[in-house]
Amino acid sequence: MHLKYESQLREPLVNGRKTYHDVTEEIIRPIEAKPGKLWYVGFYIAVALLLFGVYSVYRDVTYGIGQWNLNKTVGWGWDITNFVWWVGIGHAGTLISAILLLFRQGWRTGVNRAAEAMTIFAVMCAGQFPIFHMGRVWLAFFIMPYPNTRGPVWVNFNSPLLWDVFAISTYFTVSVLFWYSGLIPDMATVRDRAKTKLRKLLYGIAAFGWTGSTKHWQRIESLSLVLAGLATPLVLSVHTIVSTDFATSVIPGWHTTIFPPYFVAGAVFSGFAMTQSLLLVVRKVYHLEDYITIGHIEAMNKIIVLTGSIVGVAYLTELFMGWYSQSKYEGYTFWYSRANLFSPYGWSYWGMMTCNVLTPQIFWLRKARRNLFITFFISVLVNVGMWFERFVIIVTSIYRDYLPSSWSVYYSPTIWEIGFYLGTFGLFFTCFFLFSKYAPVIAVHEIKYVLKTTGESYKNEMGALEREPVEEFAHEYAH
Amino acid sequence: MEQKKHWQSFGELTNSEGYQESAKDEFKEDLPVWEDDKGLFSAATPRRDFLKYLGFSTAAAMVAASCEVPVRKIIPFANKPEDIIPGVANYYATTYIQDGEAVSVLAKVRDGRPIKLEGNELSPITQGGTSARVQSSVLDLYDTARLRFPTIDGKETTFENIDAEISKAINGLGNAPIVILTTSIASPSSKDVINQFIAKHPGSRQVTYDAISYSGMLLANEATYGKRAIPSYKFDNAKVIVSLGADFLGTWLSPIEFAKQYAKNRKINEKAPTLSKHYQFESIASLTGSNADERYLHRPSETGAVAVALLNAINGQAINLSDAALKEGVKKAAADLVANKGNALVVSGSNDVNVQIIVNAINEALQSGGKTIDWSSTYNTYQGIDTDFARLVEDMNAGNVGALLIVGANPAYTWFDSARFVAGMKKLKFAVSFNPKNDETTQLCKYVIPNHHFLESWGDAEPKTGYYSLMQPTIYPLFKTRQWQDSLLKWSGASTDYLGYLKTFWTAKAGGETGWDKAIQDGVLNPATVPTPIGAAFNSGAVNGALAAIAAYKKGGKVEVVLYQKVSMGAGQTASNPWLQEMPDPVTRATWDNYIMISPAMAKTLLGIDLNIAREADNYEVTPAKPVVKVTANGKSYSLPVLIIPGVHPDTVGIALGYGRTKEIGKAADGVGQNVFPLASMSGATLSFVATDATVEKTGATYPVALMQTHNVYTTPQGTRTEVMKELTLKEFKKDPEEIRNDRQKELAPFGGLKNFEKEGTIYPYYDKPGIHWGMNIDLNACTGCGACVIACHAENNVPVVGKPEVLRFHDMHWLRIDRYYSGNPDNPKVVFQPMMCQQCDNAPCENVCPVGATNHSSEGLNQMAYNRCIGTRYCANNCPYKVRRFNWADYTGADSFPDNQRGIVNDVVLMMNDGLTRMVLNPDVTVRSRGVMEKCSFCVQRLQEGKLKAKKESRPLISGEDNKWDVKTACQQACPTDAIVFGNVNDSHSAITITRKENELRLFKSLEQLHVLPNVTYLAKVRNVDEVAEKAEG
Repeated sequence: MHLKYESQLREPLVNGRKTYHDVTEEIIRPIEAKPGKLWYVGFYIAVALLLFGVYSVYRDVTYGIGQWNLNKTVGWGWDITNFVWWVGIGHAGTLISAILLLFRQGWRTGVNRAAEAMTIFAVMCAGQFPIFHMGRVWLAFFIMPYPNTRGPVWVNFNSPLLWDVFAISTYFTVSVLFWYSGLIPDMATVRDRAKTKLRKLLYGIAAFGWTGSTKHWQRIESLSLVLAGLATPLVLSVHTIVSTDFATSVIPGWHTTIFPPYFVAGAVFSGFAMTQSLLLVVRKVYHLEDYITIGHIEAMNKIIVLTGSIVGVAYLTELFMGWYSQSKYEGYTFWYSRANLFSPYGWSYWGMMTCNVLTPQIFWLRKARRNLFITFFISVLVNVGMWFERFVIIVTSIYRDYLPSSWSVYYSPTIWEIGFYLGTFGLFFTCFFLFSKYAPVIAVHEIKYVLKTTGESYKNEMGALEREPVEEFAHEYAH
Repeated sequence: MEQKKHWQSFGELTNSEGYQESAKDEFKEDLPVWEDDKGLFSAATPRRDFLKYLGFSTAAAMVAASCEVPVRKIIPFANKPEDIIPGVANYYATTYIQDGEAVSVLAKVRDGRPIKLEGNELSPITQGGTSARVQSSVLDLYDTARLRFPTIDGKETTFENIDAEISKAINGLGNAPIVILTTSIASPSSKDVINQFIAKHPGSRQVTYDAISYSGMLLANEATYGKRAIPSYKFDNAKVIVSLGADFLGTWLSPIEFAKQYAKNRKINEKAPTLSKHYQFESIASLTGSNADERYLHRPSETGAVAVALLNAINGQAINLSDAALKEGVKKAAADLVANKGNALVVSGSNDVNVQIIVNAINEALQSGGKTIDWSSTYNTYQGIDTDFARLVEDMNAGNVGALLIVGANPAYTWFDSARFVAGMKKLKFAVSFNPKNDETTQLCKYVIPNHHFLESWGDAEPKTGYYSLMQPTIYPLFKTRQWQDSLLKWSGASTDYLGYLKTFWTAKAGGETGWDKAIQDGVLNPATVPTPIGAAFNSGAVNGALAAIAAYKKGGKVEVVLYQKVSMGAGQTASNPWLQEMPDPVTRATWDNYIMISPAMAKTLLGIDLNIAREADNYEVTPAKPVVKVTANGKSYSLPVLIIPGVHPDTVGIALGYGRTKEIGKAADGVGQNVFPLASMSGATLSFVATDATVEKTGATYPVALMQTHNVYTTPQGTRTEVMKELTLKEFKKDPEEIRNDRQKELAPFGGLKNFEKEGTIYPYYDKPGIHWGMNIDLNACTGCGACVIACHAENNVPVVGKPEVLRFHDMHWLRIDRYYSGNPDNPKVVFQPMMCQQCDNAPCENVCPVGATNHSSEGLNQMAYNRCIGTRYCANNCPYKVRRFNWADYTGADSFPDNQRGIVNDVVLMMNDGLTRMVLNPDVTVRSRGVMEKCSFCVQRLQEGKLKAKKESRPLISGEDNKWDVKTACQQACPTDAIVFGNVNDSHSAITITRKENELRLFKSLEQLHVLPNVTYLAKVRNVDEVAEKAEG
């Protein structure tokens, strides 16, 4: 792929006059140095959040789901909202790695490692919710189809919740494989640079005996291609299946056929927003501005504005169908429970609309796309908005469904409900801090791939070469 | 070879006494016990404690990680009692007694424990019907707050001792009279016992005191008919019923009987549709008013004026009422009454003699005597005359009473001037209470000999003259209690105990030993022939006086207060019953509190809440914190939360009686609501539960009220949700009997229409449903919303109580609820009650979403729950369009495998339901669900199994309603006083359900039918007997 030709009009993907050595040095140095003060502060905050989350979950498991403010009408609230939110975030990594790999998008190299790590951690966080939202989590193994002595009793293959189990575990497995296979050459680099025996041993194990032989390179290339091929449909399937958790129901607001594409678009949207938020911090903290360039950021912003507009269209389609279907139940859900700002949850709908549809439109402006501050701000807003979206879909549909007699309100969450959510942040950032400390946050070998085609210095030289009159070039080469 | 003895000390060698003593203890020294106040490591031996903790936590972790649950063995009887077969229930006929009220019931006894009451179908009065309070009374038997032994000055004593003490005290009274203060006593033998005591103690007397008194009626009947009695009413003979504030379906006089009669003319024969017409004139929204065809509102102070106007209108005279709508209503009601002379009935809930005299005059003018009013048999359930008791209080204060023996009465709580009564109590030489609890009055008594619960008692009752109901114990007394009759007999020097006395009494009456045995077995003793209704000679002499008195009544003030009884709480006797406390009031849907019921109009003027504006309605509805309003009347103020209830008169507020009890009554009663009895007053000769001059003011505070239903109408901006519930008027129905069917046809037209809907409304294949297929039908015309089924369901299915904090969070667990919807003008709307339970859908949306298949379909059409399999994802509940699934949010039942996870999580009431005593009420046939499990109505599958087995043992097909024979009845069906619920096998062409559905096909509908969930519960549309004129006026 580094044999490809890239137009001079494209911005370089690696800035600065980097050599292979520079790349190695700059990316791997943070792993070898003692982490800075900020790292410790961040890490301890993350661990503290994680511990709070563990305690919150302990309460939920010991005392019951009544620790949360769910009720007879609203059986899912923050739990499943957070689940879908995290799963959505977990979409960018694989999309970047797999789909962009297949599409030969060179710019993915700067961001794919971190995005993949983010995916894995996000899916880990997501997984906590469906597990611990169960009333009897100690029997969670019932959802596994395994031969048993109870009849045998099998799982219900009709249930979208079961499909979830398969979809998410498959996605997680493939994502981990993909991520780790990409890490192997870099682990070998770290191993080779290791100065202590312990580091050598550990990174040696982590590198799986990588020697850098051509055969190894050939194999890892094929492996990534195969995994990319496997992961691509998964990117689409995971959120499609998550959407069927709702779409296969009979509840107005859930029972909607546009859910699969709408959920996938939303997931990519939130995934990229989260990637943006994280990378903007990472590139600053680890001084990786040369590798994660404004060009990268702009590319991702383009995806954000595209997917944001897709979900916007989906929202409007829902509203339109709420009216066009002439179903009073759907009409009520979409036009009263949601679109009416003064209904009990109207604020969440308009929060969603503002954060997901309106504000990202600023990215039609090139200046805004290339402005780090705006990008960071919008990316945070998008994640807030996407959280609202899931909340809107889940809560505003069920709190007032068919029988007015059963209408209720899902009150503000309890501290333990919030604690669980914060705990997953803790888990996410604990993992992310450890990852950024012990593994290269940028795929060193992939940067090296593209360095000679898209690195600034090479590009300039190649440009100079291109601008050279043919005669001169011929003359030079004649020598 | 001889065994060598090794010894460690001389003591051991010689086996000295000191050694033997010390050898008894396993540890020679005191154990190093870790004291509570010290920390772990400051204890004497932290290492040991550490190891202990380590061991414990490892073990706990292992338990938590789900090792085997310890095996608890069931040990069979060594000698099986003759009539107890484990797993098979015995039924004993007995009688529910609450004050004067007596209902014949069958007690279901499992392994020696009564666990459920069912109506006794042999009783011609209730005909197998029950009420919520009857259903709940089995729980009172296991009430932890019951007094457990006799006491003197609060100290436990023995019966011998207390008998001796009291005998001494009685002898020491001298000439001071003894007064036996009772609630109405409908038991003939008990009356004899009292008379015997009085004969033995000259000068003593009996005073009957009813907290909710009917003395107005008694005195009015004395004045006009010469009989101080209440005649039988025949609502089934009435084509036109006018109720002037009488809640005869909920709380008035004999509601089960009246509901049964009333429903007869409310059920519709589709071929020749007729319907009785029910007018209700009242001030606040009552259960009966909610069922009325036409309802008119008036101020409580106008009660007399309305009665007079009705009389005048019937007599063709001019009527004088200022309110135009009310005037119109009186005219209309009068016209209907006159047109149906002889088939009309007017009743009044007023306790005012004058009003009741007018009502008697009205009934006389309508020739109701002998038709809808039957003097051949009168009620014995309410005999108290208010002035008798008022005089007693004065006598007590004057020091003219020596001793008080209190049976059931609790004036320290229920008498409006309780302070005076309490002062009087202090002037007595002594007082004896036979009340089962340490209630407000009992606390003032020196001697307490708690009475048995009725399920532990022998006894009899004569609710109506000539109709007897017998009581027999269904369990050995749980505590050291004694029937009060035994005490009185003893103190009268009788040689027999009450059982002997009763037996002699009834052997004579019932015709020998066999007659007695049969009577006890049947539980009832009825007149040989059904007496034909007779009238009584009317003496109109009192009418003019009453007219003059009413004309002189003062006008009401700005706001008036009505004190009413709730279906569940009555006068507060049942305040300690958690089932009833948690039963949503049919009218307000609130639990666990009393509150001020105000009209939407007053809400607007007083609180600035306009329910017509969706936003303001939402704001009011979605938060449980309701504004607190201060009501002042008769010099007393109460600050209570308000509930805005459509159908309350704009200038009237209603507050329920029976609240504000203390923890002595029971944990469930502690601190719930406020006692508003002091707002009552004596008005003339009778007690008035109306305060006609009151003020209300906003306080700015709020107070949470645990409502089970926040939203009241099924009309939304997007359309009326007619698929949920269908109603129409009789005229519409006569004009177009196909209206409901056309409606359904229209709804289902896109999916194959009514005929092919089941097959064409889905992409899935169609399956036959051979064999038994269970189905239920509920006639919304017959359902009065009384809630007996709700409590029956609690008792039958071990439905947990969750307590107010949990209800506030919408965590109530009712399997069966009665939804209440309003339609029409919110100031005086029409009300529909729709019982809603699991619809047992044949294409159930809950079933396909469960990842583990914990809820699935039986071959008999039941949507069944495998609790053991449930992991608690709650998707089924989310996906249930009827929202009937209930999740165990916390360990409400104590059935969890996690120890110590209830305290601080669930409130005391729930914990009380888990203690060993209260758990005795649990039905062993039904799993007690643990935390984290979904549950819902099962159509009483345990009863269905029992019925099927019965049929199988007799080698015949199951019978469900053929010729009124039943192998199976669900608990709700059994409890229903109006037979609104029919249940059975829909594949059996002779079953009641098949016949009912066939005969009522025009009104048949399924709730949310268009969803193609194929519910197995059908409803019959509500038909109101209103004419179009009234409809137009409603707008």
